[in-house]
Amino acid sequence: MSFEYFAPLMFGGLVVTLLIGFPVAFSLSALGLLCGFIAIEMGIFPAAFMGNLPLNVLGILSNDLLLAIPFFTLMGAILEKCGLAEDLLDSMGQLFGPMRGGLGYSVVIVGFILGAITGTVAGQVIAMAMIALPVMMRYGYNMRYATGVLAASGTITQLVPPSLVLVVMADQLGRSVGDMYKGAWGPSILQVLIFAAYTFALTRLRPAQLPALPLEARTLQGWALWAKCLRGIIPSAILIFAVLGSMGGIPGITTAICTPTEAGAMGAVGAFALAALHRRLSWPLLVGSLAGTMRITAMVVFILIGSRVFSLVFQGVDGGIWIEHLLTGLPGGQIGFLIVVNIFIFFLAFFLDFFEIAFIILPLLGPVAHKLGIDLIWFGVLLCVNMQTSFMHPPFGFALFYLRGISDTLHKNGALPAKVESKDIYLGAIPFVLLQLLLVVIVIFVPQTVTVFLDKEKAIDLDKVEIPMTERVERGDNQSAIDEMLRDAAKAASAPR
Amino acid sequence: MNSLLQLARRIDWLSDRFGDIAKWAVLAACLISAGNAAVRYALNIGSNAMLEIQWYLFAGLVMFGAAQVLRVNEHVRVDVLYGIYPTRMKVIVDLLGLCLFLLPAMGLIAWLSLPYLANMYVSGEMSSNAGGLIRWPVMATIPLGLGLLILQALAEIIKRIGWLMHVHEMDTHYERPLQ
Repeated sequence: MSFEYFAPLMFGGLVVTLLIGFPVAFSLSALGLLCGFIAIEMGIFPAAFMGNLPLNVLGILSNDLLLAIPFFTLMGAILEKCGLAEDLLDSMGQLFGPMRGGLGYSVVIVGFILGAITGTVAGQVIAMAMIALPVMMRYGYNMRYATGVLAASGTITQLVPPSLVLVVMADQLGRSVGDMYKGAWGPSILQVLIFAAYTFALTRLRPAQLPALPLEARTLQGWALWAKCLRGIIPSAILIFAVLGSMGGIPGITTAICTPTEAGAMGAVGAFALAALHRRLSWPLLVGSLAGTMRITAMVVFILIGSRVFSLVFQGVDGGIWIEHLLTGLPGGQIGFLIVVNIFIFFLAFFLDFFEIAFIILPLLGPVAHKLGIDLIWFGVLLCVNMQTSFMHPPFGFALFYLRGISDTLHKNGALPAKVESKDIYLGAIPFVLLQLLLVVIVIFVPQTVTVFLDKEKAIDLDKVEIPMTERVERGDNQSAIDEMLRDAAKAASAPR
Repeated sequence: MNSLLQLARRIDWLSDRFGDIAKWAVLAACLISAGNAAVRYALNIGSNAMLEIQWYLFAGLVMFGAAQVLRVNEHVRVDVLYGIYPTRMKVIVDLLGLCLFLLPAMGLIAWLSLPYLANMYVSGEMSSNAGGLIRWPVMATIPLGLGLLILQALAEIIKRIGWLMHVHEMDTHYERPLQ
């Protein structure tokens, strides 16, 4: 076997090995090590290459940014169980219900708000379907629209800051989490508007499918109703804005007072406070969220360890150069590259979870995108929008799977008058997948949807401070070191002229 | 076989105890991190030891938690094919994967980490940051955690052989972890 076939064969081996179905983390490391030994036998790189592996593992464990994974997960896990979703949907549904399509709007809006608060698609789909699906069925909403809007609004959580996906994306692309968050606001708001516009169009075209609720359906009236809405939104909004604001994740805020990791930790502490406020803080809640958080974190970091082993060897056999040759030769430059990559990711997302794509594929694509002059924040947010569709693909889509489960449970409880067929869930998802793809196209052709929210000055300054960073004093604290430098630079710039 | 299954249950118990440690490490890291930010903001002081203990705890939570994650079958898989395999096929894929992928790969990384640990322990290497922590305990989490993972893998192998021999009941149902 000659050297130039090594990388393509290794990539093929990756696909086959993953498809077998053994846990990704261990398949990846085993494949990486096996290929590493073959490469050493062939004399492609020295045997000492392998000896560095434990240091690479240690490097992953000491990555300050990855520490944000448990913190944001913990925050979401606690808030999910606070009953926020139920309160919000109940009050919003009553508020908008008497409008035609009103339940649809309230699902979309609550999906967006919950997206900022909690972190998991599954939790969000289940919580929203529990409340909204029975009401929608009772008042004669079209089944396909109802399941579609629930699944789609549940997936918004992937894109709305502070999302875990964006943290991992920022880490893999070497960009700041704050900027990633800023960039994601545009597309996530756009997505809400697109879903709402679709709902509005349906109310005009097929009014019978999205009827208005009779006013008697309201259990709360006037002021009490508004009060309940606000009570649901305000405390969580304050928490989210405090978390995002302190790490510089909101457009217009240029100085961060803490690292994203610390903001996540503060958010988790705030979530405990909010849970206490809602009288939901209990020992089982605490222990349950800690255990869940620990397991997700260990799982994710082990995938990262596996993919690090794999990509070390893959880069060692010039796999990066192979991928780059494949992708830079595409016609159409930037746009051509983006279209091909998005189609690739779209289909990959049928099989792979977000974490696998982020850890295995992203490190291969990032350098090529950078070389083509593509803004990596834009690139990351774009891929994030794209990967959202993976939750909605019939028949494997994760959100659909959970919707299926919860609607069966609801039917058994007698909360749903009719059984929800898989066919309805699948067909209902299709218009929303198309809407999400529309958003992908919009973000490709109008990069301003992302970049307009980024702080131009900061982006330039960041490039300048990249060099002194190598001699940073505090290893675990480089984000605040950067911000300190930024503040000094800003002071110097605005000082006497 | 019965005594082996008993051993597997002991290993399960051990993994769960380390899982408990990992679980509380989440809370400890979270409180320390939030405390660091608050203290730095309010009093403008910081401590490298307190910054470093965060990632020591992170290392502990990941390394000590992984074995329990294996026990509860929550390490993520590509389930396009796995999801439709009959139970027997799932058990065989798991057996082969555990023996051919997990044990050699994790064993090798654990083995390679031992010289580093010994080195750090003997030299008493400290963090290069002023007031930082001693290095070897965090390096020790790697062979220790991977060792636990290997033990748990052996327990899983025993359970699956037990299932194939019809002396052990087990749930091979796999659900993708929540995200």
